[in-house]
Amino acid sequence: MAGKITQRANRARTVIKRATILPLLVRAGVAVAFFGAMTVAWPVSVVVSCWMVLLAVAAIYPAFAPRGRGVTIVLIIAVGGWILDTTWYDARIALWRVLAIATLTYAGHTLAALAAVLPYDAIVNADVVLSWAGRAGLAVLGSAVLTVIVLGLTSDLAGGAFLVATLVGLAAAVGLTLLLARLLRRP
Amino acid sequence: MSATDSPTLRAAVPPTEAVADDGWAQPAWVPTRALGRTVLITGLLLVLGVALGRVDLVLLAAPFAIGAAVALRRMPRFAPELSIEADEEHIVEGGNVRAGLTVANPDVITYDLVVVRARTSPWLELEDADRPHAIKVAPDGWTAVDLSGRATRWGRQDVGPAAARVAACGGLLACRPVVIPAQGVRVYPETEPFAATEAMPAAAGLVGNHRSRRPGEGGELAGVRPFAPGDRLRRIDWRVSLRTRDLHVASTLSDRDAEVLLLLDVLGEAGESGGVKGKASVLDTTVRAAAAIAEHYLQRGDRVSLAEYGSSARRLRPATGRRQYLTVLEWLLDVRADTGEPNSEHVFGAHNVSSDALVVVLTPLVDPRAADMLAGLVQSGRYTVAVDTLPHDAAPPPSGPWTSLATQLWRMERENVLGRLREHGVPVVDWAGAGSLDLVLRDVARLASAPRGR
Repeated sequence: MAGKITQRANRARTVIKRATILPLLVRAGVAVAFFGAMTVAWPVSVVVSCWMVLLAVAAIYPAFAPRGRGVTIVLIIAVGGWILDTTWYDARIALWRVLAIATLTYAGHTLAALAAVLPYDAIVNADVVLSWAGRAGLAVLGSAVLTVIVLGLTSDLAGGAFLVATLVGLAAAVGLTLLLARLLRRP
Repeated sequence: MSATDSPTLRAAVPPTEAVADDGWAQPAWVPTRALGRTVLITGLLLVLGVALGRVDLVLLAAPFAIGAAVALRRMPRFAPELSIEADEEHIVEGGNVRAGLTVANPDVITYDLVVVRARTSPWLELEDADRPHAIKVAPDGWTAVDLSGRATRWGRQDVGPAAARVAACGGLLACRPVVIPAQGVRVYPETEPFAATEAMPAAAGLVGNHRSRRPGEGGELAGVRPFAPGDRLRRIDWRVSLRTRDLHVASTLSDRDAEVLLLLDVLGEAGESGGVKGKASVLDTTVRAAAAIAEHYLQRGDRVSLAEYGSSARRLRPATGRRQYLTVLEWLLDVRADTGEPNSEHVFGAHNVSSDALVVVLTPLVDPRAADMLAGLVQSGRYTVAVDTLPHDAAPPPSGPWTSLATQLWRMERENVLGRLREHGVPVVDWAGAGSLDLVLRDVARLASAPRGR
């Protein structure tokens, strides 16, 4: 037991000694994005309580283990907080919150995908991170435009939200099926 | 680091994954956990959106779906091509080495991230070679990673094996690691300055640079004697002839070449190797001294041959000239401590040595078989000089309270062996660069000039 602890301590020392700045920044980005998503998604009463410590720990965990299932769990926790706030606490679905949660969860997800393949001690060309961030920015921008249009549309069609959601959901489900089918035909 | 250990290479490169033995090759590109996460989150949000009638949940899934759709619009088909470029010029230890890794992208999409890493020999101080390098490679293009540095020890030093792992489509697809074998860099030993001014004990050939003890055609003046039939006219010493009123010729000693056999004792390795400017192990001293002695005698026009005293019993035939010097250096790169069975037969014996050759045995005199071999050579009448290559601070690693005492006993026993060898007429000298062998060569030459009545 003591041997294992010493081994882990030595490993941690080696990691700290060898870590380079860009992989460190990417992992910090993962932690910041998920922490932000948690803060925006969960109800204010939870955010200001001591429960936030647990949420913060959960948000930071993927930065240390970006290859594990922690990222998926954190995403589900953030979405769960959002559903809890809008159903149990009956909070209003504000455009800025939807935009912020979508942006922050996706940013955390894509940065975790980068951190998963980027060794902590790698010497990284800056253009790798910049182009990665650029692509993520484009996806976020596209979805933001979609969010603004769709949320505007649903407010115009007051009371018809269920129908619109059903239609959009079905269309997206078909699109997702097509995407999966294409992946199966990968080389 | 002890030179006896195998070079410790950083375990940075994943092992080559074996192709499935049923003949089905694994696909080069595989989905990552990020792709699974994208599909899961998107599907979950869509299902919840549909079930709860919530547009906002569908919109939360939008960046995941858009990002995946944009990233996967074109799929990679080919694995990356990785290559190692290593210096092929003559590098002497302490010199600069240029090496590099090149990743080529034969595909039509950009490789968003290529993590390339290489193991390198611990005796190559290459800049950032112990770290992975993350680069981006454009479609149909290539990117190189420079690994220049310095070679700190002689030998065949490896750059590689190297491995590259590629992530494409925004990290949703990854390539299985591409691993390529190592490329060797030849690092020649630094020859310590060496000069032996003493005569060779026995010069054998017809031409060469050593003055022999026999009169003949040469440059060294032996004396003046009366003219005799057969003498060349250009040998007439006119000044003496005029004074004595009789023809006299200047007689010279003939110039001869000699054969030098460098016998390298590789039965064991001891001491710590610290590279070119650090401590020298037995093999370091052996190889550097052999290179220096060979260079010296080859420059003087002698024939030099090399042999290993060990289970492999490698030999290099005697030859002369610069080409032989380069061959000697190349041959020395493969000198390794003998890891064979202790009872293996050594094919080397006095019968392998020319009777006129000067045998320089580079030995740490740790193995009793080496002392026996030396005594055998001297008994068979070979001109033998032993160079002690054991470092002064060589000692076994401490393994208990008795280690130091045991080391002292071992050193006393070794001194005893050295003394007995000297009694048998084997001169043993420490290697100290220039002039190391002068004193003993003079003694050996004196012995050689004496009649060999046996």
